[in-house]
Amino acid sequence: MKQRYKQHYSRGSNLLTAVFIVVGLLWIVPIIAVAVNAFKTNAAVNQNAFALPNADTFVGFDNFVKGMTFGNYPFWKSVGYSLFITLASTALILICTSMAAWYISRVGSTFTKVVYYLCIFSMVVPFQMVMFTLSTTADTLKLNTPWTIPIIYLGFGAGLAVFMFTGFVHSIPLEIEEAAVIDGCSPIRTFFSVVLPMLKPTMISVGVLEIMWVWNDYLLPYLVLDRTKYMTIPIHIQYLKGSYGSVDLGATMALILLSIIPVIIFYLTCQKHIIKGVAAGAVKG
Amino acid sequence: MKKALALILALVMCLSLSAAAFADDAGSVYYLNFKPEADQAWQDLAAKYTEETGVEVKVVTAASGTYSDTLTAEMAKTEAPTIFNIGNKSGITDWGDYALDLTDTSIYAERVNDDYVLFDDAGAPKALGYCYESFGIIVNTALLEQAGHSLDEITDFASLKAVADDIHARADELGFDAFSAPGLDGSSSWRFSGHLANIPLYYQYKDAGLTVGALPAEITSDYLDNYRNIWDLYITDTAADPTSLSTSTGDESEAEFGEGKAVFYQNGDWEFSRLTGKFGMDPETLAMIPIYCGVDGESEAGLNCGTENCWAINAKADEADIQASIDFLTWVVTSEEGTAMLAEQFSGIPFKAAKASANVFGADAAEYANAGKYTMFWAFNDTPNVDAWRATVVTALTAYSADPSDANWEQVVSAFVDGWAIEYANVNG
Amino acid sequence: MKKKKRDAAALSSELIRRPIRRWFPVFLLPTLVCFCIGFIWPFAQGIYLSFCTFNTPKDATWTGISNYVKAFRDAGFVHAFKNTALFAIVSIVLINVLAFAIAYALTQKMRGSSLFRTIFFMPNLIGGVVLGYIWSMIFDAILKHYSTYLTANATYGFWGLVILVAWQQIGYMMIIYIAGLQAVPEDMLEAAKIDGASKSQTLFRVVIPNVMPSITICMFLTLTNSFKLFDQNLALTGGAPSVIMNGAKVNMTELLALNIYSTYNINKNWHGAAQAKAVVFFILVASLAIAQLTATRQKEVQQ
Repeated sequence: MKQRYKQHYSRGSNLLTAVFIVVGLLWIVPIIAVAVNAFKTNAAVNQNAFALPNADTFVGFDNFVKGMTFGNYPFWKSVGYSLFITLASTALILICTSMAAWYISRVGSTFTKVVYYLCIFSMVVPFQMVMFTLSTTADTLKLNTPWTIPIIYLGFGAGLAVFMFTGFVHSIPLEIEEAAVIDGCSPIRTFFSVVLPMLKPTMISVGVLEIMWVWNDYLLPYLVLDRTKYMTIPIHIQYLKGSYGSVDLGATMALILLSIIPVIIFYLTCQKHIIKGVAAGAVKG
Repeated sequence: MKKALALILALVMCLSLSAAAFADDAGSVYYLNFKPEADQAWQDLAAKYTEETGVEVKVVTAASGTYSDTLTAEMAKTEAPTIFNIGNKSGITDWGDYALDLTDTSIYAERVNDDYVLFDDAGAPKALGYCYESFGIIVNTALLEQAGHSLDEITDFASLKAVADDIHARADELGFDAFSAPGLDGSSSWRFSGHLANIPLYYQYKDAGLTVGALPAEITSDYLDNYRNIWDLYITDTAADPTSLSTSTGDESEAEFGEGKAVFYQNGDWEFSRLTGKFGMDPETLAMIPIYCGVDGESEAGLNCGTENCWAINAKADEADIQASIDFLTWVVTSEEGTAMLAEQFSGIPFKAAKASANVFGADAAEYANAGKYTMFWAFNDTPNVDAWRATVVTALTAYSADPSDANWEQVVSAFVDGWAIEYANVNG
Repeated sequence: MKKKKRDAAALSSELIRRPIRRWFPVFLLPTLVCFCIGFIWPFAQGIYLSFCTFNTPKDATWTGISNYVKAFRDAGFVHAFKNTALFAIVSIVLINVLAFAIAYALTQKMRGSSLFRTIFFMPNLIGGVVLGYIWSMIFDAILKHYSTYLTANATYGFWGLVILVAWQQIGYMMIIYIAGLQAVPEDMLEAAKIDGASKSQTLFRVVIPNVMPSITICMFLTLTNSFKLFDQNLALTGGAPSVIMNGAKVNMTELLALNIYSTYNINKNWHGAAQAKAVVFFILVASLAIAQLTATRQKEVQQ
């Protein structure tokens, strides 16, 4: 009886694997389509996006070369700004909000409670609510450059990060910190050498969420940045749509491919952390 | 630890203030250009000016179809454009507050006459046309002759259709077709939702005794059957598949004509430099004829001439920037480099020091006018909420092209007439 | 529960609290300043401006509720609202059912389950604008076989967006469901097996009740994601086709967030109405979130 059950189970499992292989392949068709079309002429993409390139339609790396200077704006600049903005914003958010969360949690005054509830409140406010005013505020304060936009990201993204950090800080036993204080540690020292190491798992969760948000964000940098000087990858790609009388699909796909390759590499190398971060972030949020 | 505190505070301060440090005192120019095809020429000219005078000139070109969005966004910024484009009378309504009264400026004194000046309701000149343009049907006369026809044959819609039908029928044998693809992709659709739409608009303005700037709240469907005539011809006598026009681009259409695969190509004189430059076409084989569509007496028609390119100077800019902008524009229309660039890019230049343009299309326009034919003014400049109005027309036109039924044509008519009323209310409401 | 613990912690740590307080400028101030710049001030100004006509915030004049009247009279806004609601319902059902099914299958003993997990999650890392581009190419290529194209018809655009969003979000929800499924106590499953429960009985009587918290979270996330959707909408169809319906112009595939954005871009007469729409949108999203949170909390208390 038991034997039969087991056999049945594994046959079913094989069938399931077979089904998932098909579904999994279908799942990555869009990404493969991008890769394939990045090497085809514009006309060939229009003609049949699913065909593999042949001798007539294969253009090698021409699309990449062409795409690089599309719209009179070099693509590598957008990549650079995207990278900088993502890393700087995430770093700023992690440091500032973890410190803020610790302060809020440990001080526990009426004032910090108000700040905490405002943070939670900000989590349910859609970006559209503040977008027009945020862009003028950012411009007035000259925060419209890639070097200063992390301040905006910290401001608008503080809510979720503070919320997640506070949740975790609450669960840290006070005794350790008390011991540190008795040993004569200043709060700075206590935070950086005692609290911060314990916050590492939350740091990763928050970091992953922030990286995914900022890297892919379109509207905030589009409205805040001085677009005539600075673009990020999503802005650049959206810009191609209406750009200069031509939409070269081949070149667009080449740029898209360039922009998702780093993401996929990042994903494959840090997969464990990303998935864990997402699961943890979702459960808290 | 106090040091660390000071450091962090200083860091925050620096971050927020660093950008402010780059403020400049000498006037600088920021030109938000409207014409993507002239972008490179402006960039080059600006670089020359900076080299010559040391004044910084920044030229930014909005992607096609996004000028008004870009202008709105840029004007709200502290470093707003100092020179921008106003296309028409309703642009004056929207941006008149931001436009400097040009009366006493050196650039205004350089104009030839008031034909291409936009005045506000109080009569102050707020924007100055820097070029006027003509559009119609561009013809490759060499191919036309090769097909056994000549320009003289074409005098109205019936004769145009006869020639085009003949060429289309023999396309395989000839190796070229009649019309280049009437693409409805965003990079091409303005040729039809903008320029071609001028034909029905012009004729009804003419009937009603209106001129450009009348900004009517409503339009009629009076000449839309004529619009349909010509549109049917475009989508029939062409190698393009009418069901895939939505993704057919302006570049493709231009290349089709430029590479000798089509005899007719509806566009404007601004194409001249690209056709003769990039595609190496012989100016001798190029001509522009009026867009005929079966209106009575259209044998007397000329080309469509007008401008949607008027410079306005941002009145809310710094005094120094305003002066720098006026100086720059004056230099553009008087200097050797500037006038050369204008003559190369545009056909009609309404300034005293203008160089003669080599543009044969401009010459064609003048020839029609001199022969006593009526010039069709640009009534389409009055289109309310122009990008949105055109988007609706293009949607309807695309659906109609894929399936040219009467029901679908009703949608086009509705997009024209009802769309106009709706957008007029949107903009003025 | 949480609150009580917090107060207790705060009170018992006077030793820690006092020195920290003096370090306010280091710990809290930077975040607070940025929070004011990036959220508080724009939010407050946004509320104020929704009652004004303005071109830029500097030249605002108070006009009362006229912006709200104008917003609700706009057929495009009403259409976008219906569109969004329909879109939310369809995508909530589709995404959650599929994500749960996949998660359930992947938590069974099967070969290659971690590889599949990797694959399904991947689309999540690609930004909305890029996704929109990729899918518009794919949909146009498919529809070309039927001599049509994506923006020809609002139905294509709507389902196109549903497919895109499902492809993007199923992997994310799957991860949450997997976490939930793995937390189902092993002994309960064993007990069910011993009692002779069939597979479907086990699924509906034991598994699903146990992953209820995950289901709530995923429903909540898909709901708010659908309501806030912007990038994908903009890049896939941009609201096209726009047609004239009953004497009003409607962008057929526009969802609320995009409608607000495009309203702002009509011209300066519409800035106030766009901000008013944004306030309405905020109230909507916030009440959905609060309703969801209270529901979740109640359930947690009951358990």
